[in-house]
Amino acid sequence: MFLKKILSYGKQEDQVIENVKKHLQLLCLAFDSFCSGIKKNDSSMIREVIDLEREGDSVRREIISTIYAGAFLPYLRPDLCRFVETLDRVFDSLEDAALNYSDVVLPEQIREECVRVASMNTNMGEMLALSFDAMVNGEDLREKALAIRIYEKKIDDIKFSILKEIRTIPVDNFWQGRTLAEFVSDLTTISDMIEDATDYLQIINISMR
Amino acid sequence: MKIDEFMTTRIESIDADSSVYDAIEKMVDRRIRSLLVVFSGKDKDHGVITARDIVFKVLSKKSDPKSVKVASIASRPIVCIDRALTIHDAAVLMEESVIARVFVCEEGKIVGVLSLLDVMAASLILRARGNYVP
Repeated sequence: MFLKKILSYGKQEDQVIENVKKHLQLLCLAFDSFCSGIKKNDSSMIREVIDLEREGDSVRREIISTIYAGAFLPYLRPDLCRFVETLDRVFDSLEDAALNYSDVVLPEQIREECVRVASMNTNMGEMLALSFDAMVNGEDLREKALAIRIYEKKIDDIKFSILKEIRTIPVDNFWQGRTLAEFVSDLTTISDMIEDATDYLQIINISMR
Repeated sequence: MKIDEFMTTRIESIDADSSVYDAIEKMVDRRIRSLLVVFSGKDKDHGVITARDIVFKVLSKKSDPKSVKVASIASRPIVCIDRALTIHDAAVLMEESVIARVFVCEEGKIVGVLSLLDVMAASLILRARGNYVP
């Protein structure tokens, strides 16, 4: 439906759509791996995030070059690119969170809340993939965008409770404190970026009408 | 959808011997509508005090909130639900008990709270996922 509305519909557009779906699929896998990794404290699952990010990076490059090689009408390209770049930022933050997690022992006081955030991030990733599919099918994104906003608000609430708790946790040295703070920051800002990505999808959807 | 996916784990509490004024201060400061009431001594049962209790039982009667103790207007016992149950189970329990929030328990310990707003938010997410059953 989405593609049929575009006058320049063709092979390149198909390729972009398929690659964005692949990018989102990789992101969902990375979220899943990260969440299971911190639930089970399994470092091999955490390391998978780094490999998936690398794979995602090459898919992103392919998408951007296909778009600038002429896929889609020019007025759609900037928002599509911004959407893909935002997915890349999500991937980067998730990778940073994975790297920081490998360098720090997560204190028990905040473990459960961090696992909840990781699990909600996973759900948000799935919802973003559903939103993209819905956009491609020409469906309304309102319900899905609302679900993403609900998750974002929920994670924001948890973030404040983690930040309140984290200030009471003693650290042995500066770097331990900094790594822990960066881990929490990366983990809790992912939801904001997913919300931004959904906004770009809505903009694209509206501009197609 | 399981309750623990959507419950709030940060539970604000107040001592039963505190004044209603202290409760108001805490609720306004934290922007929340209820507090878990902790009783001391042998009395291990928890209670709950809500904005509704404060307005209807104290303020509307022109009582001085500084001279009324939380214990005297708190509702007890609290209504608990197992964290492994679903949001729908919680909604049914809230409807049956005519309450706006249930405490989520695990092995007798309170681990979270679920409000009507959380139930509504969860229902929107289920709709968006495509597995909402009215």
